[in-house]
Amino acid sequence: MRSASRWVALAVGVALVLAFPLVSPNAYILSAAVVILHYAVLSTSWNVVGGFTGYISLGHAAYFGLGAYGTALLITRAGVPSFLALGLAGLVVAVLAVPIGIAALRVRGASFVIVSIALVLILLLVFQSWREVTGGSDGLVVPRPFPELLRPQHHLVFFYLFAALLALVLLAWWTIDRSRFGMGLKAIREDEDKAQALGVPTFAYKLAAFVLSATFTALGGGMYALWFGDLDPVFQFSILIGSYMVLMALLGGVRHLFGPVLGALVVGVALEFFKQQYGDTQFHLVATGLLLGVVVLFMPDGVIPAVRGLLARRGPQQSSIREVSAAELQKERVP
Amino acid sequence: MTAGLETRELTKAFGGVVAVDHATVSFRHGKVNALIGPNGSGKTTFFNCVTGMIRPDSGTASYRGKDITRTAPHRVAAAGIGRSFQLCRIFPRMTVMENLLAAVRPQGIGALLRRSGGAADVERARGWLHRVGIDHLEAAEARDLSYGQQKLLELAGVLMAEPETIMLDEPAGGVNPALIDRIAALVRELNAEGRTFIVVEHNMELVMSLSDHVVVFDRGRPIAEGPPADVQSDPAVLEAYLGV
Repeated sequence: MRSASRWVALAVGVALVLAFPLVSPNAYILSAAVVILHYAVLSTSWNVVGGFTGYISLGHAAYFGLGAYGTALLITRAGVPSFLALGLAGLVVAVLAVPIGIAALRVRGASFVIVSIALVLILLLVFQSWREVTGGSDGLVVPRPFPELLRPQHHLVFFYLFAALLALVLLAWWTIDRSRFGMGLKAIREDEDKAQALGVPTFAYKLAAFVLSATFTALGGGMYALWFGDLDPVFQFSILIGSYMVLMALLGGVRHLFGPVLGALVVGVALEFFKQQYGDTQFHLVATGLLLGVVVLFMPDGVIPAVRGLLARRGPQQSSIREVSAAELQKERVP
Repeated sequence: MTAGLETRELTKAFGGVVAVDHATVSFRHGKVNALIGPNGSGKTTFFNCVTGMIRPDSGTASYRGKDITRTAPHRVAAAGIGRSFQLCRIFPRMTVMENLLAAVRPQGIGALLRRSGGAADVERARGWLHRVGIDHLEAAEARDLSYGQQKLLELAGVLMAEPETIMLDEPAGGVNPALIDRIAALVRELNAEGRTFIVVEHNMELVMSLSDHVVVFDRGRPIAEGPPADVQSDPAVLEAYLGV
């Protein structure tokens, strides 16, 4: 019964997403929806390593930027067709993520956070300075994959492309979540030393999750490059993008498949609203910071668990696990 | 005698403090071994060196004739050595059942991606939970269990990995006498089934009644070993414990 209602809810959700462009009143709303979907892809990708292992990377913008620039440079420099370039850029980032992961995952906790930030800052400087290849701060124009399409159609096509990519990342997360590999990753999140003592090859598991997460983030970056068509290191290698990924996942709930998607929806809409209302001020950043504070203080596990907890409290009371029946007491007796 | 866990000149220092000092120990395979000594005598550091949690500075450790010095903890576990921790360690935000399923060791990519909690694994987990007496709690979150129940859960998790040798670090620490009796009975049963135990413990009554072979540590090295009755009257042991 519960499983059937889940499938119905999923079907309704998919139908709503697919139908959104049909009811979208204008091209701006559709473009905002593309932005939110792209956030959902990035945040769910981040959650493959952040949610399962508890390793909080604030520098995932590094893989977003590498995927975006990789795709753009393969098209502009090597003449590779757009979507082949996207796939190749994802592969290149996967290969690069192996040595990066080997170095970064040797440290835990706050040290890992700092290492992840350092990487994105280094890449920002490299891509800004390497002007002859990346265009530096002048930007890099990415040829549109469908030049014949007008803006609204362009947004429409990318809405569905981002939705397909999101479905792929969600499917990967779901598969891992149910798997023995996922159970090992969650054990790492809970207590890494204990997991190792039980026989979980923690380093290999962490590295695999890290590489997968970086690859999906890179695909999100490459798709963004094809959609947006103009890259600048300041935006592609931005700490802010990495922070958004974390905030969105935390807001929705890192232990839930749709947590980052819900977070992307809330934060994405809020960001667009504040930008609309307050223009080029930095107020949207202040609002985002406040939102993060509220989440950490009042919903440390995210919105989904908080709502579930609320519903559970309104539902029938479950007895405490410490209340034991006479039969159980009998069972507990000393053998 | 079958070779079990052995160390030769194992040494580990933290700064100027030599926690394990050229320790050469040979545990009796197939028996219940106890490792005792005053606080700070290096027992837990010795455990950590042997199980790969920390790297010894020098010396060697071997298990069943195979060198396990500086081997990663998951490889030590795969070699057949399971362990518990001095301060009970469980996966607090997982259910009791998940705590056990996390100890399943899949072989190959296909097995890794197979769904966790297959019927065979769940049955085996239920078997161990039943053995330790907390099968009625399988759906509870581990952090909601009492300390004694968490101790039993930790033991069930270790057993789920099917180790041949089990190293228990203070299994009776902080638990009530009834639970100590249950743990002791379990150790005896599992030992009768062929599992080796190496137990660090301060409860002398338990050590004397449970163990076949006792190794006494003081200042990072073994000062005496033998059957419990012999060790109890050893002058070096009395001096280490009582200063007489």
